[in-house]
Parts: sequence; C-alpha cells; structure tokens
Amino acid sequence: MSEQKAILLVEDNDDDVALTLRAFKRSHLMNPLVVARDGVEALDFVFARGAHAGRAEAPLPTLIILDLKLPRLDGLGVLKALRADPRTALLPAVILTSSKEEQDIVSGYKLGANSYVRKPVDFTEFVEAVKVLGIYWLALNQLPPRPASS
Amino acid sequence: MKISAKGWLATTTGLGTIALLAVMIWWANGEVESADRQRRRMSDVARVLNDLRLVTFEYVLYRNQRAYQQERQVSARLERQLEEPIFSDPEPSETLADLRRRSGETRQLFEELQANTNSRAADDSAQKLYEELISRKLLVLHQESLVDAFRLTDYSTARIAQAQQRVVGVILAGLALISLATAAAGWLIHRGVLAPIQRLQQATREVASGNWSFRLDIAGSDEIGEMSRNFDAMTTTLRNSFAQIERSNQELAALNREIEAFSYSVSHDLRAPLRSMDGFSLALLEDYGDRLDDEGREHLSRIRAASQRMGRLIDELLGLSRVTRTELVMRDIDLGAMARDIAISMQKLHPERDLRWEIAEPLIVRADKSLMQIAMQNLLENAWKFTSKSPDALIRVGSTVSDGRQVCFVADNGVGFDMTYADRLFGAFQRLHHETDFPGTGIGLAIVHRIIRRHDGLIWAEARPGQGATFHFHLPGGTSP
Repeated sequence: MSEQKAILLVEDNDDDVALTLRAFKRSHLMNPLVVARDGVEALDFVFARGAHAGRAEAPLPTLIILDLKLPRLDGLGVLKALRADPRTALLPAVILTSSKEEQDIVSGYKLGANSYVRKPVDFTEFVEAVKVLGIYWLALNQLPPRPASS
Repeated sequence: MKISAKGWLATTTGLGTIALLAVMIWWANGEVESADRQRRRMSDVARVLNDLRLVTFEYVLYRNQRAYQQERQVSARLERQLEEPIFSDPEPSETLADLRRRSGETRQLFEELQANTNSRAADDSAQKLYEELISRKLLVLHQESLVDAFRLTDYSTARIAQAQQRVVGVILAGLALISLATAAAGWLIHRGVLAPIQRLQQATREVASGNWSFRLDIAGSDEIGEMSRNFDAMTTTLRNSFAQIERSNQELAALNREIEAFSYSVSHDLRAPLRSMDGFSLALLEDYGDRLDDEGREHLSRIRAASQRMGRLIDELLGLSRVTRTELVMRDIDLGAMARDIAISMQKLHPERDLRWEIAEPLIVRADKSLMQIAMQNLLENAWKFTSKSPDALIRVGSTVSDGRQVCFVADNGVGFDMTYADRLFGAFQRLHHETDFPGTGIGLAIVHRIIRRHDGLIWAEARPGQGATFHFHLPGGTSP
C-alpha cells in the first residue's frame, strides 16, 4: 500500500461527498479521493481527456465509487463505457446509491458492477458500509492484472 | 321478405303447380273419354246402318211385310241416334249432317219403293225397272252412309290416340314444371338462407379469433338480414369497447410508468437530505459535542431519530407501492415453514424474549411466495411486537376450514385492540396504539392487506383489549386440497 492510488468518487450531491469523505477519514482509508460531479467528468478523468486531458501518464484509479443518478451521463452509462473499454473493463466499480429498486440492482450487476451498496440514512451505518467497502476492495480483494497501457 | 314468407311462397308455388297439373290431367282425361264416347256412338250408328242396309236389301229381294216392318223400326232407331249432335269440330259435323241428309233421302226412296210395290201390277215391266232403279240407288246411298260412319269412327279413334298423347305430354310438362319450381325454390333458399348462414358462421369464427373488423354486410329484410345487421352492430360496439379498453389500458400503463418514476425519485432524492441531516447531526455531536450541553446533544439526537424514522417511512411506503407493482407468480407454498423460518430469525435477533410458538406444518396455500413472505413477516412482527409486554406470550399460526374454505390465521395473546377501531386497522399510517408503547410506522398491516387483496383474498381481524388479536385470511387462488 505504498503508492496509495486514487479512489474516484462519482457523486453530484455535495453533502454526500462531504459525508463520504468523512466516512473514509473515520475508516482510516488514506487513499486520495478524486471527486467527479457527473458521468462525463468521471469518464474524462479515467481516460485523461477533456478537462483532465493533461493528467500526467494517466494512472487509473484503483476503485470507482459510482452514484446512479447523475447529471448528463448517469451511473449505468458510466459503467457501460468503462466495461466497453479494454483498459477499464476489469477496473473495480462499486455502486453506492440511495435506490434499492430491484431494476437498478439488476441492471447494475448486468453492466458489470462489482458491488451494489445502498447508502443508509443512519450515518453510523453509512460509515460502517464505507469502511467494509474500503477494507474489502482496497485491502482484501486481489485485483486483476493491469493491462499494459500503450 | 321474411324467411317464413319465402317458405310459404315456395310451398304455395309447389302446391299450385301440382294443382295445375291435376287440372290438366283431368281435362285431358275428359278429352279421351269424350272421344271414346263419340267412337262408341259412331260404332252404334255404323251397326244400325249395317242393319238398315241388310233389311232394305231383304225387302228389295222379297218385298215382304216383315222386312218392311223391320226397315221402319231400324230407320226410326237411326234417326233417333242421329238426332243429337255428336261432334263439335266442323269437319265431322258436316259428315254427320251428310249422314242425316242421306238418311232422310233413303227414307223417302224406301217409301216410294214401298208405295210403288203395293200399287203395281205383277207384270208391269216399266214399273219393275223403276223399282229396280230406286232399289239400286237406295243400296248405293246406304253403302255411302256406311262408309261415312266408318270414317267418323276412325276419326274418333284418331282423336282418342291424340288425347292420350296429350295426357302424356301434360304429365311430362307438369313434371318438368315441378322440377323447375323445386330447383328454383332450392336455389332461392340457398341464396337467401343457406349462403348467408354459412357467411354468418364464418363471421362468428372470425370474431371468435379476434378479428373485430370483420363485417357481414348481408342486405335484405328477412331474419338473416336483420341478424346480420345486429351482428355488425354488435362487432362495432365490441370493437369500440375494445378500443376504449385499449386506450384506458394505455393510459393506465402511462400512469403506472409515472408512478414508477415517482417512486424512483422518492427512493433516490427524498432520502439524500435525510442522510445529510443525520450525517451532519452526528458530525456535530462527534466534533462539537463537548461544547454543547446535554439539552443540545439531546436535540441533535432527536434530529437524527426523526431523520432515520422518515427514512424507514419512505422505505415502507416504497414497499407498499412495490406490492402493487409486483407481478404475481402463483405456486404451492408452505406458510408454516415460512413462519417457522421467520420465527427463528426473530428469536435469534432477540434471544432475551421468552415466547412460545405454535406453528402448524405444513400449511400449504397457492400464492406468490415473495409477497406472502412480506405478509407473514409483517403479521409475525406485529404479533411479536404486541406480545412484548405479555408474561406468557404465545403466537400461533395455523388454519381452519369455514364454509368449505381454508382460512389461515396468525393469533397472539398480546395487548389486542378495541374492535371499535378495527376499520382503521388496514389503512396506511393508521395506528391503534401510541408509538411510545409499541414503535412502528403503521404501514405493516396496510402492506399485508394489499398483498391479500392482490391475491383476491380476504383478511379480517378479531381482537379484544388485553386478550390478544387474531388475523384471519383466505387465499382463493386457490387453497390446495
């Protein structure tokens, strides 16, 4: 864990961003957190284009946390674009959202989400959820080999 | 024309044709009979003429009184026979008139011969020669009359044959006419009755297979025409109703989509501010708790509790609407086993509760498994909740048979409730107890009620304050034997 790669949080709600940051801090997750405010910005960051075109050597984030309801391109759209590109096809992407509608869960998994976590109202539970998420995806989970970037 | 009128017409035409045929046969038969009568009379005339010729010949030979007397008699007979007219046609009538005339002539000649015979001297040769001339003329006249009589007899015979031929012709013509009338009636019935019925049959088949736009368009004023118009009116009405239903369905589907979109927004957007309220209240408590007094911290705790409660309310409301939207999958399920699993998991969560369960197993009903899971969960949680203050708590799950129907029940010996307020029991957000005594959102029973109603079932409760409550429900779709 020496390099501490970035986590990309795709979230348009400022409160939720602040709360997620707080939850990360309280869970002692030290990875830098990059926030994208909508789906297009998220893809721009991942593929180093648009506003993020100048990003040095474009290291991919180690984990993407996606909200579903987003301005412009929504979370499922982002997921589809990520899975369609060989560079990001295997990148861990977790859906963290308010909705627990069955259709969202099903289409999330169908499009290749690695986890689906619902944001609880109770912040104590929320911190717990983020903590488990961080421990699982950043410490325990064995990531797939990174494809050689050309 | 009505079918009955057509039938009446066909029958009348048939009977009329047969009557006409009978009249023609009767007439032709009359012809044969009259010709036969003529022939018989002419034969009589010929016989009498022959007799007359013989007696005249005898008198000419012997001049005796007996022959004379016989001639008189036969001649009178002949005159009587020729008196009445026999023929109506002009040609034989003329011949008959010749016969009459000749008969008068022969009578005169015979009287002359007789007068001469009586008056002459035995050897008067001139007189003898004169008598001979008269005699010869008499015999020639008789011969001519005889020939005429035979000719008239032949004429009558020919008429008989002619009349007989006519009878055969009439019968053949009548039969042809009857065949023609029968064929015409058959064709009319086929065109006017059978063909439209076949089309009607085809139409019912078409409509039965869902082709509402099929039209019969059978014109006519008979029963079939009227039936066809009624049929077309019926399909038009059906088509319109169907279109109306289709439109309503589309509107309903659109409304459903709207409700779904609304639920989705509620689920997603309404919870976000609650999360902020709870999260930042906790942040306040954690980061600045030491600068607040107990009352301040208490206020923050209340904000958190309220946010969390609203979060639960939203979740349960969504649950309620999901019950309406879910499609039912009917299969045989064991409510007893389901109740036992729920009981075990509740007991695990609260091992401190001392409570007895009496669950009938198996308790097979035909219903949607996931919805009945929600219903049983709510009913058992309810029972669990309202027995929490009872010393000897007991929850029973089972079924009875009433009016031949299987009625399931979930019974407890908890606090019960006053039946006066039973009508409010299954409404959303309706509570019969204070939340401080028994926490809850008041949606659980509304969800149960909606699930049972979605199965076209019935649910009702029996309770008494302090003596527990029993929820009965019947699932028609159908309870397994």
